[in-house]
Amino acid sequence: MAATDGRRALQTLSSAALALPAYAGAPPAGTTLDYHFFHYAENDLPADRVAGSQRGRYDIDGHKLQAETPLGARYGLRADLTVETMSGASPWFVSPGQDGRPVQVMSGASIEDSREDLSVEVTRYDDERTLGLSLGHSQEDDYTATYVGFQYGFEPQGGQLNYGIGLSYSNDELEPTDGGSTQYPDRIIRASKDQLSLQASLTQILSANSLLQWGLSYARNTGYLSDPYKLVYADGNTAPDTRPDERNVGAWYLRWRRYFKPLAGAWHVDYRGTADDWEVQTTTVETHWVQRLAQRWRLSSGLRYYSQSQADFYAPYFEAAPANGLMSSDYRLSPYGAVSAMLQVNYSLQSFELGLGYEYYEADGSLALGNVSVENPGLLSFELINLRVAWRFD
Amino acid sequence: MALQTQVRPFRAMGGPCEIRVQAPPSMVRKACDAAIAEVQRLEQKYSRYREDSLLSRINAAAGGPRIAVDEETAALLDFASRAHAQSDGLFDPSSGILRQIWDFKLARVPTEQERAAVLARIGWSRLSWRRPELGLPAGMELDFGGFVKEYAADAAVAALRACGVVHGLVNLGGDISLVGPQHDGSAWQLGVRHPRRPGAAIAQLPLRRGALSSSGDYERYFVLDGRRYCHILNPRTGLPAQGFASVSVVAEQCLVAGAMSTVAMLMPPAAALAWLRQSGLPFLCVDAQGGILQGGPGPAAAAASRGAC
Repeated sequence: MAATDGRRALQTLSSAALALPAYAGAPPAGTTLDYHFFHYAENDLPADRVAGSQRGRYDIDGHKLQAETPLGARYGLRADLTVETMSGASPWFVSPGQDGRPVQVMSGASIEDSREDLSVEVTRYDDERTLGLSLGHSQEDDYTATYVGFQYGFEPQGGQLNYGIGLSYSNDELEPTDGGSTQYPDRIIRASKDQLSLQASLTQILSANSLLQWGLSYARNTGYLSDPYKLVYADGNTAPDTRPDERNVGAWYLRWRRYFKPLAGAWHVDYRGTADDWEVQTTTVETHWVQRLAQRWRLSSGLRYYSQSQADFYAPYFEAAPANGLMSSDYRLSPYGAVSAMLQVNYSLQSFELGLGYEYYEADGSLALGNVSVENPGLLSFELINLRVAWRFD
Repeated sequence: MALQTQVRPFRAMGGPCEIRVQAPPSMVRKACDAAIAEVQRLEQKYSRYREDSLLSRINAAAGGPRIAVDEETAALLDFASRAHAQSDGLFDPSSGILRQIWDFKLARVPTEQERAAVLARIGWSRLSWRRPELGLPAGMELDFGGFVKEYAADAAVAALRACGVVHGLVNLGGDISLVGPQHDGSAWQLGVRHPRRPGAAIAQLPLRRGALSSSGDYERYFVLDGRRYCHILNPRTGLPAQGFASVSVVAEQCLVAGAMSTVAMLMPPAAALAWLRQSGLPFLCVDAQGGILQGGPGPAAAAASRGAC
């Protein structure tokens, strides 16, 4: 009996069984309730990169509650509620320091804001198809977002390929704090932007223990895409962050999953690339190892590498304002690379699951794929801690 | 609203069956009719007793041209093929012809020559299964009896769900598949048969989701010279199972639970326990002396020990 293994047999048989019509497209079997708490803390900027004494950055505390339940035989309902409170200071503009090296100027006053986000998704399950409709609304003091999405999945019975397409639309209304005030006369009073996005994916079941997913997406953003709180330093003065009113982003990704039976672990490798007409190109490579330990414990560790090129209208600061008036010194549009390391522990006990996770992220010009001659002084480093409690009721 | 449990008994797959549901009365009848129709459909399709069944046509074509099968049959053959590989040949739908030499009414042990002659006509690896075409060598036969009842229980559950039933179960002669828990969220109490006392339960297993399948040496057997010969036959030796008296397994699908329990029955007890523990599934084995061994995560195993007599 040496050649047989109960765990492998179960996995193989379960995946073979799923090809049968009796098991196709089922709504969630029971109700699950999932609570997440996270604390996101950006690390202080090094003293030699900031002008002034304000080095501290942003902190966010978030609570997320997610519920999923079947509605009759054919439908499933999912609802997500997120409440976040943010506080701290954020990069305002970059100015030339002594010897021309750029230094970050932080927004002086501490920002206090909160965000509430509610989304609801209803999915219909048919034998080979799923059809989902989602609606969401997000509210901040200075920001309102509304979105609607549509997803369609096709899983032919007994097939090795699953297909998915999605379409979503969102509208954001901005009403920046102190817009048009005497203190910030350049800051807009209100603006809006829209995003239309299309996604397609293909999942290939390579074997009982491995699968590969391919995806493509396209997003068209229009409207006010600048950051109303950011300024640029140009011609010895400051001016509002000004970006094109249109951005088209193409993205492609590849995700590979493989379960290694003798190790009771799974290896995930993900790649994602994007390119847009702001000339920003990004590459993300991520890998995780998920290890099951003694039935109840799951340990997941991962590494992520990210690199991006700069937007064509980006500079740390501008000697002279360009003719088209487009300029931004936002570190998020600067050239850089970043690494993050993650560790997550999960413990499951009957209908409960507990999780604790930690992530460390650091961005740096020297980590970029290309050569970065002048690094943005506002590049980020942060720590993220999350706690999770999930219940499942049948 | 408190819902009464509606019980709908019926006969199918050679034994007594029942559906239990908790649903509005207007829904119950239609849902049960649909579920029973699904069981009957599968019985007709895969019965080896009916000449008009798909299985009979497959077997009639043995030695002849390859025949193309439908998607559902193909998926069942894929399942059987994997179960055969994963069990080192202990799960083998071509082993049904062993019943030609094992007559449980005559209580006779076949001779070695008889066994050898039949074993020569058994072996999943000898047939050619290339989706969607199946080629069966002359003299060989397929028998879906080892898993179609379990699959039918799951298919009946799918039919109940499609009619809107959320709380209920389907029991096809001891192979039980759940639609969902009772309407108050509590578990169904499933009895595990006592392998030596007909009609008595050796344990109660509370279950809220998934399925329970049991295999045992008690369904058809004879005792000769103090030795028990049961109807669960080893496709590799042609001899009856000599391990546990019964094995019950809980899994997401009854089909999977059934394959796991059948294979465990055919293994020596120590190997069966190792195999079941590796699977991580809740299980309950009864040895020849009536001793209970159980394992797997979750409440099933713990509750099973409490319910044991």
